[in-house]
Amino acid sequence: MSALKIPQQILDDMIAHARELDPFECCGLLAGTNGAVSRHYRITNTVAKDARAVEVFEGADVKQLSHLSNSTKAEVAYFMDPKEMLAAFKDMRQRNLELAVIYHSHTHSPAYPSATDVGLAYYPDAAYLIISLEHKTAPDLRAYWIKDRQVSRAEFQSV
Amino acid sequence: MIKVRIPTPLRPLTKNQGEVEATAGSIAEMIENLNAAHPGLKDRLCDDKGELRRFVNIYVNEEDIRFLKGKDTSLKDGDEVSIVPAIAGGN
Repeated sequence: MSALKIPQQILDDMIAHARELDPFECCGLLAGTNGAVSRHYRITNTVAKDARAVEVFEGADVKQLSHLSNSTKAEVAYFMDPKEMLAAFKDMRQRNLELAVIYHSHTHSPAYPSATDVGLAYYPDAAYLIISLEHKTAPDLRAYWIKDRQVSRAEFQSV
Repeated sequence: MIKVRIPTPLRPLTKNQGEVEATAGSIAEMIENLNAAHPGLKDRLCDDKGELRRFVNIYVNEEDIRFLKGKDTSLKDGDEVSIVPAIAGGN
């Protein structure tokens, strides 16, 4: 697996995305070639709007969401809008890019995968990047590989 | 012939092909036929009872089969099917 290279502009834009939605979680995808990221897709977090999100979380036995208010759901979880994901994957195919990074923000906790993140990690070939806004003035970005529920650090450099 | 888009997590089962072809009249039949050609695929898509796993999204020509007839959604020659596992998590 080659080391990830992410343009500084895309890193800045992901942080901006996280800040815009704070205290709600943002999410999105990065695509590129051989780990060199060139494209950023912001995806809408529909955890509070899509009844299927609750089914997915509770089906995987990772988090009980149904008792939470809609706004609380979006503070503690994300669920990518399936239609937007489909459109992003289509765009990647047309540009001959691969999915490289799946990102989301943690607005109240550190940039480390939660049990929920690990239990719902269905893409072992993509790095999972977390933007922590636990310390609002110092966003912390870290990336991980999550394979068979094992978490390891994914190094990335800004370019 | 139906064109089926395989997501990266399932490509180890399709010799790394991102697109495979299948002949099928419905999603259920497509899953059976794909599993015959690529053993193990059905287990990744369906649970022990043969129901689609909840995190698996399937689209026929970009329409979510949950808003069609689920596994009974019919397929015709030239249809394009996309399989897209959900992406979700939280703090």
